[in-house]
Amino acid sequence: MSAAPQNAAKGAPTVSLLIAETIGREMERDDRVLVMGEDVGGMGGVFHCTRGLQDRFGEWRVRDTPIAEMGFVGMGVGLAMRGYRPVVEIMFADFLAVCLNQIVNEAAKIPYMSGGRIPMPLVIRTAGGSIGSAAQHSQCLWGMMAHWPGLRVVAPSCPADYRGLMAAAIRSDDPVILFEHKSQLNRRSDLFQRSDVGPEGDYLVPIGKASVARKGSDITVVSISAAVEWALEAATEVAKEGISTEVIDLRSLVPLDMETVLISLRKTARLLVIDEDFLSFGMSGEVVARAVEGIGTSGLRAVRRLAMPDVPLPAAKTLEDALIPSSNAIATALRDIAKGA
Amino acid sequence: MIANDPLLQGYALMCRMRAFEEACLKGVPTREIHGELHTGIGQEAIAAGMARHLRQNDAVVSTHRNHLHALAKGVDPRALLAEIFERETGLCRGRGGHMHPFDPCTNFSATGIVGASLPIALGYAYAAAMEGTDDLAIGVTGDGGANHGTFHEVMNMACAWSLPLILLVENNGYGISVRSDAVTAPVPHWRRAAAYGAYGIAADGTDLAAMDAAFADAADHVRSGKGPVILEATCHRFRGHYEGDADTYRPRADRKRMRDEGDPIALIGASLEQGGTRRDVLDALRSDADAEMAALLEQIRLDAQPESSGAHDYVFLERTNA
Repeated sequence: MSAAPQNAAKGAPTVSLLIAETIGREMERDDRVLVMGEDVGGMGGVFHCTRGLQDRFGEWRVRDTPIAEMGFVGMGVGLAMRGYRPVVEIMFADFLAVCLNQIVNEAAKIPYMSGGRIPMPLVIRTAGGSIGSAAQHSQCLWGMMAHWPGLRVVAPSCPADYRGLMAAAIRSDDPVILFEHKSQLNRRSDLFQRSDVGPEGDYLVPIGKASVARKGSDITVVSISAAVEWALEAATEVAKEGISTEVIDLRSLVPLDMETVLISLRKTARLLVIDEDFLSFGMSGEVVARAVEGIGTSGLRAVRRLAMPDVPLPAAKTLEDALIPSSNAIATALRDIAKGA
Repeated sequence: MIANDPLLQGYALMCRMRAFEEACLKGVPTREIHGELHTGIGQEAIAAGMARHLRQNDAVVSTHRNHLHALAKGVDPRALLAEIFERETGLCRGRGGHMHPFDPCTNFSATGIVGASLPIALGYAYAAAMEGTDDLAIGVTGDGGANHGTFHEVMNMACAWSLPLILLVENNGYGISVRSDAVTAPVPHWRRAAAYGAYGIAADGTDLAAMDAAFADAADHVRSGKGPVILEATCHRFRGHYEGDADTYRPRADRKRMRDEGDPIALIGASLEQGGTRRDVLDALRSDADAEMAALLEQIRLDAQPESSGAHDYVFLERTNA
């Protein structure tokens, strides 16, 4: 397959290979698991996350679809209602906009509208994040998906979680939108801050439990997806200046594990939320609001958000860099908070 | 006698469908149905023609105007009526309402979003083809939904993979207030089939015998693995788009003519009578249907509405596995 062979030669698997292995394991375990989407079959996905699956499971279970997102996402909804467990790929998160109705008005609502009589074991995998692809191929959009009741919204940020959360999503009876980050998919696992790939064999990470990616005592950073890695880099940097940062990886927006966040805030009283999704009406505002509701304004000495400004992503690197909450931008924000600025 | 005559059976079912819809109408002024209501009065011959050709494993995915298809698919009328009347005993415990009935036992469902039924029906058709059974799926749309992009996406995929899908277009001539011919390319919907290499069938949706024959043809085609069918049934919607629609966009004379000349129950009744069925037999079936639905209405009106404490139930079916 076209999976980066130079990486394979160096031993450590890429995240996309871990994803393909996980989906393949679930397909072996349960023949109701199906894969469908654009280029997922013969090519194994444009990010290689389904490589080899069509060869192993045939084209009925691993289906290359036409470019017809409304149609094939709705087909996934019908298959889930029939008892299958479809894993549908929306190649770029931006394309969720093309088929939003089937996700938010059908998949998300059918379990409720049916009075609990119809489960919706549908997974929509999609890739978000900035890699220089400009306004229509860079968005994260998990905040939008979390806004609609009825969807589990998950975004792993380290190799082990890509495996464990993917398996949990496929086994869930609720619809799950799983955001992969384009910058992480073809990255070798040993290049991550958290390079552990998890144990051999079946590995599940429960959906809805945040993880403390780094322990610290001065400032709590809350984030999701690749920005957690950027926050870890920033935390390492400012640690040299005596700033102790606790980094919390939410792992999922729905359910949102505020308990883990509040435990940290009771210790630090300083909150920095990092979000690669847009600033307004999204995750960062929600986390701040729940933090205030959870421990009160008097329990917080500093609250700050660093998120994608409400601007369509520009093409030029200089402009893109000016907007992304990079590790440098995060380090600056941490220093400002530490100074009380 | 009725057991041996499919048209007489169809007549009886149409009477029950009409009586069911009339029972629903009683819940509007009382606000027992406190939202909108779309009835299929005038379109009974289509669903009744479909009924005899469906099996339990077949799937039907219908629209906002879905009650008749539900009855044709075998959904329990009591549970359906209770759902429409917003009761905890309803098919969906009062969470779905009249536009969103879901019945896993009969593989029946509907959606209130125009055009959205078709991709879901495609999923059922895909399952049948993958499993190698001769089950089929019917995706229902009106003439309005036939102009939605899903129509093309679904026909394209269904033909690419030769899926057992019947795309049923109930063409009642209007998308709410807009005449279908004012917003639609001047080609009948069934003729679009040719563009996909599918099979197109046109039928008079006010004629039970014609609909019975059309569904026999369509079901035979898809069950034998020959790929999808577009079945267009022309019909009249007797009432407004929804209850409360003043229906001023249709000339009064046209509305009178469709009721006088296009009532599918009167038409098949007259035809059966001509064929030798006694009038009193037909009248008895009609009054039996009225009595059945009146009794159901009386029963479900005694059922409890959902407790307000249950408003959060069923958003997720799985407690977080945290």
